[in-house]
Amino acid sequence: MADNPELESFRRQWREEVAGRSKPRNAPHYVAPDPQPARFPPTQHEASHRKDLEEEGPPPASFDPEELAQQVGQLSVEPERQHEEDGFTRTDHHEPSSALEHFERAVEKEAAGNLGDSLQHYRKAYRLDASVDKTYRNKHFAHVWKRPAQPAQSAPTDPKPVPATAPVSTEDAVHIPTSELIASFAQLPIPPAEPLVENTPPPPCPISNLPSEVIVEILRYVGLQDPATFGRMSLVCKRMAYHFSHEQHIWRRICQNPEFGFAGMHYTFACDIHGYPIYTLDGTRYTPFPKGVSLEIPKPLTSWTQVFQSYPRIRFTGIYISTVNYTRPGAQSTHQTVSWNSPIHIVTYYRYLRFYPDGSLVSLLSTTEPVDVVPHISKENLMAARSTYPKQHHRRLSDQGQTLSGATDHVPQVALNALKHGHRGRWRLTPPVPLPENTPEDQIAATGPNQTEESLDPRDLVIETEGVSSKYVHLMHLALRSPSASKSQVNQSKNTKLVWRGFWSYNKLTDDWGEFGLRNDRAFVFRRVRGWGI
Amino acid sequence: MANITLTSSDGVDVTVERTVADRSVLIKNMLEDLGETGESIPIPNVNEAVLKKVIEWCDHHKNDPPSAGDDDDNRRKTTDIDEWDQKFMQVDQEMLFEVILAANYLDIKALLDVGCKTVANMIKGKSPEEIRKTFNIQNDFTPEEEDQIRRENEWAEDR
Repeated sequence: MADNPELESFRRQWREEVAGRSKPRNAPHYVAPDPQPARFPPTQHEASHRKDLEEEGPPPASFDPEELAQQVGQLSVEPERQHEEDGFTRTDHHEPSSALEHFERAVEKEAAGNLGDSLQHYRKAYRLDASVDKTYRNKHFAHVWKRPAQPAQSAPTDPKPVPATAPVSTEDAVHIPTSELIASFAQLPIPPAEPLVENTPPPPCPISNLPSEVIVEILRYVGLQDPATFGRMSLVCKRMAYHFSHEQHIWRRICQNPEFGFAGMHYTFACDIHGYPIYTLDGTRYTPFPKGVSLEIPKPLTSWTQVFQSYPRIRFTGIYISTVNYTRPGAQSTHQTVSWNSPIHIVTYYRYLRFYPDGSLVSLLSTTEPVDVVPHISKENLMAARSTYPKQHHRRLSDQGQTLSGATDHVPQVALNALKHGHRGRWRLTPPVPLPENTPEDQIAATGPNQTEESLDPRDLVIETEGVSSKYVHLMHLALRSPSASKSQVNQSKNTKLVWRGFWSYNKLTDDWGEFGLRNDRAFVFRRVRGWGI
Repeated sequence: MANITLTSSDGVDVTVERTVADRSVLIKNMLEDLGETGESIPIPNVNEAVLKKVIEWCDHHKNDPPSAGDDDDNRRKTTDIDEWDQKFMQVDQEMLFEVILAANYLDIKALLDVGCKTVANMIKGKSPEEIRKTFNIQNDFTPEEEDQIRRENEWAEDR
């Protein structure tokens, strides 16, 4: 992707605009890839040397999908609705006609990682209006630079006298520390809404009559149902914000529960590669925060909120997507008179991973765009798609019969076509403490190519999936990382990124290991999908 | 089976079976302490309409096994509500919260749970603004405070 000068220049322009309006910062440089070492010993995958494995900053190349996705997220016209929308439903796109519309579509496509289409739209936009970027900026980012710097004296309630000599940034002078701010909300009532029409009785607000213990009870159910909604409750009013951060037992329970918490994490494989459960004799599996025992918050952390937020955790409420772009030279037409214009194709493909709480997963490699396939990625649809093409897949279909009927009814053909190439698999995290050795497992990873460096980083994730034919097993090593910090959010979602550590195939018949090159592959990024896991 | 008379806050007498009234831990304890005197029991915090609604629930659930232990898992694990209770809770918001308050006051755990779950279901999947609209809550944050809280708490599960 980086060796396309035209794309690069567009990219650079765009980035300069973005960087210029927020704050001065280092424009990311494209780091030339290290010269490929001649040959690795099979114990180490080249991907494990990648820079972005350890540094959690922006990836070396200048393409930063998360950041763009965030910016685009902020642009949406109805910001309140975006909680509901997951971006995986096709909305009626009318074709862009003006320069601005082309530009907007280009930004959208770029955020989705589809550089080819994005470039086309950028090109059209600039052709129609050379200064379209300014128009765009004025439309979407006007508030950013129109807002004057806040004058410092607006905190009369600041309880802490600030030493006069201390250099205080304006930021600090305005804000009381959040914990104190929230603590001051403790006894506030839930404020009823103003009447819609003046001098009429206000609309009833019966929730404001509830005593604290009942509010906490309600919040507990909200939290157990959906931690994301629970998080949003803190923004409803001051009283809710107080309860949100002070009811740590709710957070502890969320951590312990299997739906969202760590009881749903697997540290040993819980099923075979096709997703059928493994039954063990004692039936107990390791979990970091078991119920019914007094628990301590793991050391560097101070609250269960933080535990939930930062402890390595796989999410079941959405999809992990890795968007890969690469360029390849197109064919030269012999009839072409303009010889300097040699076409270059930007190819975009996607890797999708959907995890299940029972330890299984679906892995899909496809060129089908997320909007077409993501809502339909499931084990049931995968098997249904396969059974539609039985000649190509001699797998164990008979025992799937019960889930097949009717499953294909609502799945569009384009999704089925993509899904038939999906693979079932299983996943496990690396346990944070060494597990007792009495868990015999038929895991290939144990005899895998990297047996020598059995790491104990609890962020490491091991995935085994079916291969292209039944004699192969694919082994992926990934590691959970947090998205690069952005200035818009202090507390970023953590561990929503999966970076590559290695990717192999194993031939069960010949006991051979083959390595997949990951030169183009990028990290997986989590996107929530509506209706999954809730 | 003896009948018991309850007097609502607006002075209406309601007669119920003892087993039905026993769903309320408050009334049950009171009866055990006082013995059955035949006098009516005043329920000063609950008006007639709400009291009848609560009694309707207690009557339907009078044969439920006593909830296994106060804490915690069995009661909390399931966030779904059985069909009859869902229908029962299809009332306007004022009645819903009155029932919750009455259940809290009368100490009827299972009814309180159903009420709280119902409210939680109304909250589920909504944005802060939508939640405020649903319950007619006013946003009492200053823009600065809202921004501060948002940054503190918004590590979205959403993305």
